[in-house]
Amino acid sequence: MAEIGHGGREIKERILDPVEAQKKIKGLPQVPIRSQLANEVIDIAYGWFTPLEGFMGKADADAVCKKMELSDGTVWSIPILFDMNNAEISDYGIKAGNSVLLTYQDNPMAIFEVEEIWDYDMDAMCQNVYGTADEKHPGVARTKRYKEKFLGGKVTLVNRPQINPPFEPYFIPPLEMRKRFKKRGWEAIVVHQTRNVPHTGHEWLMKGAWAQAYGGLPIEKPLVGVLVNAIIGEKRKGDYIDEAIILTQDELRKSGYFGDHNHLTSLTFWDMRYAGPKEAVFHACIRINLGLTHHMYGRDHAGVGDYYDPYEAHRLLQGIPKDKLNIVPVYSMNWLYCPHCGEITSEGLCNHKEEWQKFSGTLIRSIVMDGVKPPRLIFRPEVFDLVMECAEKFGFGSPFVTDEYLAKRTPVFSIPPLSA
Amino acid sequence: MAEKYPINIWVNEERYERLKNVGLADMCEEMLAGLKVIRVFANDEQKDKILKVFPTAKFDASTTKSIELLPREVKDKIFDKVVENKNIEILEEFLKEY
Repeated sequence: MAEIGHGGREIKERILDPVEAQKKIKGLPQVPIRSQLANEVIDIAYGWFTPLEGFMGKADADAVCKKMELSDGTVWSIPILFDMNNAEISDYGIKAGNSVLLTYQDNPMAIFEVEEIWDYDMDAMCQNVYGTADEKHPGVARTKRYKEKFLGGKVTLVNRPQINPPFEPYFIPPLEMRKRFKKRGWEAIVVHQTRNVPHTGHEWLMKGAWAQAYGGLPIEKPLVGVLVNAIIGEKRKGDYIDEAIILTQDELRKSGYFGDHNHLTSLTFWDMRYAGPKEAVFHACIRINLGLTHHMYGRDHAGVGDYYDPYEAHRLLQGIPKDKLNIVPVYSMNWLYCPHCGEITSEGLCNHKEEWQKFSGTLIRSIVMDGVKPPRLIFRPEVFDLVMECAEKFGFGSPFVTDEYLAKRTPVFSIPPLSA
Repeated sequence: MAEKYPINIWVNEERYERLKNVGLADMCEEMLAGLKVIRVFANDEQKDKILKVFPTAKFDASTTKSIELLPREVKDKIFDKVVENKNIEILEEFLKEY
């Protein structure tokens, strides 16, 4: 049975079998790509970006900027672009109507059927997508780093990525993800978007959202799941290392704070744009394709600095009809520690406001950096121990991204040589 | 009244031993279900200087309103100053070195 994704379009993987791939890539000019584009090639080919079949042409990008939709009217909020400068286009002899072979890590990755070469006013794009053209905004800076021309056209994977340890179990593309949900019998699944090692504030955000998603469903058997979907992309110094993020999220299940009956951890390859409200809509699109029914949105979702009002994303989502964006937003209030209650509680529940002790991922990172093990009510001991284990095993002694980690880490995925 | 922004010096066992040895254990506050902490407060000007001098530091404007992610060795130096002066009013002196 067809799996229907975002925009009412069937999710179809765009992946050639190795024998056909060998034939089709013969003689194509080879174009090496950077990690951001490799991530997006994977997202397109496996259906995370349904209904996109490739990188955007000008009509789609323009509609995304001006109307937050593709040219066919499907809601879409972030342009997905393949950039090149004029010299490269000339050197590779690329013209509209040509195909090229995209390579990554010196191996064949995908065929790109170039249909269109175009340009755009980047200040206008930034203003429309980010609400600012200020280059201090990391998404604006990334967008302004694009080279002067864009290539639009379909992308087909010729070589599946090899997911390296310890990430293999967490690479679950949309079609496979939907099978797993069916197998578990989940009727509602709420996604927790993360780039963090979980503290108990996060844990209770998930537990609260799980209860919200249960709604009026019967409770005789488990029908609701939480999908942790970690965003794996470009790292900044001081972030938690990817290995610690993905393994500690799963540790909450393994250590019994959740269970197989209601929790699954996964990843999506994506370089965050920090576009706040627009990124919130974009996250909804990719999570619809993964088969989610509900999406958690906390305060200042995918925002940065003070560019966005903390609830701007919520208001934008509230204005989009369900037939255009088929996922239920679950708006989450902050969880905090109340010494009077002696527990983690929601700011929407507890009234000991003068006694509240708020904590954040940043605060917990600070505690860990000071060499202190936080109390179990704040940070699960199994999570803390695993963070420290990851520091030794994957982080060259640190649970946080360092220059050494960036230089020497094993990539999350590799593109192997193509063998028929 | 001028805003004050805490720097949380989380007190691990080693730091607590040193505080006890000089009779300053009472200086610790307790936060977050039992964590011992010494809070050194910065004014606006000091906060801006700290964020400039130590690029990894972050002001958590949305949740805790505190200055976080100072390198461990910087926190150690601030802690040393607190122990040396037996007082938490040490930031002005500390920042003179930077």
